[in-house]
Amino acid sequence: MESTPALELRGVSKRFPLRGGGDFAALEDVSLEVRPGEIVALLGPNGAGKTTSMQLALGLLDADAGEARLFGGDPELLATRRRIGYAPDAPLFPKELTGLEVLTLHGEVIGLHRREAKARASRFAAEVGIAEPARRRIATYSRGQQQRLGVALSLLGDPDLLLLDEPTAGLDPAGVAAMRELLVGLRARGAAVLLNSHLLSEVERVCDRVLFLKGGRLLRSHEMRARGLRAEIRLANAPELAARAPELVASGLDGNRLRLEVPGEEAVPLLVRKLVEAGAEIVEVRLAGADLEQLYLEIVEGRA
Amino acid sequence: MSGLVCWPVARATLRARLRSPGPWLVGFLFTIAGAVRASRHGAGIETFSGPGTIWFIVLTFALGAAILSEEIESGHAQLVLLRPITRAAWYGGRLAGVTLAMALFCVIAWLATFSAAVVRGDGFDATRFASLLLALVWGCAWLSVLTCLSSFLPRWTNAGALAVLILAWILLFGIVATLKPAWAGVVDTVTKFLGPQDPMMFSEPTRPRRDLGPALYDLIWIFAPWVLGVAILNRRELARRRS
Repeated sequence: MESTPALELRGVSKRFPLRGGGDFAALEDVSLEVRPGEIVALLGPNGAGKTTSMQLALGLLDADAGEARLFGGDPELLATRRRIGYAPDAPLFPKELTGLEVLTLHGEVIGLHRREAKARASRFAAEVGIAEPARRRIATYSRGQQQRLGVALSLLGDPDLLLLDEPTAGLDPAGVAAMRELLVGLRARGAAVLLNSHLLSEVERVCDRVLFLKGGRLLRSHEMRARGLRAEIRLANAPELAARAPELVASGLDGNRLRLEVPGEEAVPLLVRKLVEAGAEIVEVRLAGADLEQLYLEIVEGRA
Repeated sequence: MSGLVCWPVARATLRARLRSPGPWLVGFLFTIAGAVRASRHGAGIETFSGPGTIWFIVLTFALGAAILSEEIESGHAQLVLLRPITRAAWYGGRLAGVTLAMALFCVIAWLATFSAAVVRGDGFDATRFASLLLALVWGCAWLSVLTCLSSFLPRWTNAGALAVLILAWILLFGIVATLKPAWAGVVDTVTKFLGPQDPMMFSEPTRPRRDLGPALYDLIWIFAPWVLGVAILNRRELARRRS
């Protein structure tokens, strides 16, 4: 793994002036990093400083204190910009152009030849599921289609670092699933991803690390795989199993559902085999990460 | 892509401008105005003189309105500028794109006028092509001023503010000429330095000019607002980041 972080914020603070006088601390002494091959999510309530963190990292805002670095260098360097992709929340594009034309424009600005830019535009439009709408003018797009176009734009240059601000906002379930696959694919090729999303279930499924922000402060960095995965097993004969193998179900039984912590996906077949041998009649097995919602409530809201 | 002009941005700007109905409507009236006035001995020139001048300026303003601000305010400029491109190249691309759109309308209108004149019995005279080139310099100078204003004025107010300024100056000129006829000459001289000069005076048979002065002067009005506009854009962007 490359030792230089793809994205690094060191002791960054940012205050915005308020109209009535005074100012508002959007970020206070925040340090974070995203390494190549890692998907990191920023979680927090509205106004926590998630978008500001991204904009500071990209050089769209200047920090009052601290510094932002991309690949160990200045975010403003043109060579650095070739390596990044950014999809803002609710992007707006020239409504007279088609999605393909906007994608081609960005491809050419990156430095691709026109033909290559056009080919990539079609490829990424298809990849984010807007192959057909991309031929139409953007004035006719829905919010979700604009969101997908924004994501396609961010992917255009095969970036080594991707910053996605609410990429699943306005997407239908198919779009969310496509986004998940996309992120996993990016991680597989070693790209670093910083993601800002309120969709905890998706964050839970794809992210390696979660950073909890509130009131402009970084509350905690949490490794998603540290607490393992949670298997939820629906049983047809839960009471019988509880009587027959109490050591197996222990305190994890809730009605006809058995919830157990497992270290990883590879442990699930063994668990299922043990349960079947103990006489369990399994209807369904579902896997989820550590309960992120619970963790969020604990860390951000201070609720047990 | 050159350092001064990002051509992909120019092409996208041209496309977007040509898909707006407004410029086409004005461009149509501009074309008709020239073709109707086309005479046997002035082929091509009528496009950019008389009523054609007014339509040409309206067309230029329609094309140049919100040329930068629409991109800045939508946030798309920010996305483009995150790419390996300088703000100066982006600015140059927007200006070049809108100039190409204007050039297209001018060529169509000029050809219409020229054809009308030929139909009325005029012979082909290549020197009349000069009127088209001079008009392009003039129009480009106005577009450069509009682009510069758009680097700090919101939405379409660059065109609005400039139109109000021009009308106010014309009104002032009229008042001065009526109340203080002796000052009219001074105001007329000052007017020559306020904004691009109409180079059609050079080729207009009824208002002969013996030199290329206005056209050369207009070149300054292309490049000076361009440099100033880029400086303003840079300054505002840096200020926005700090705010």
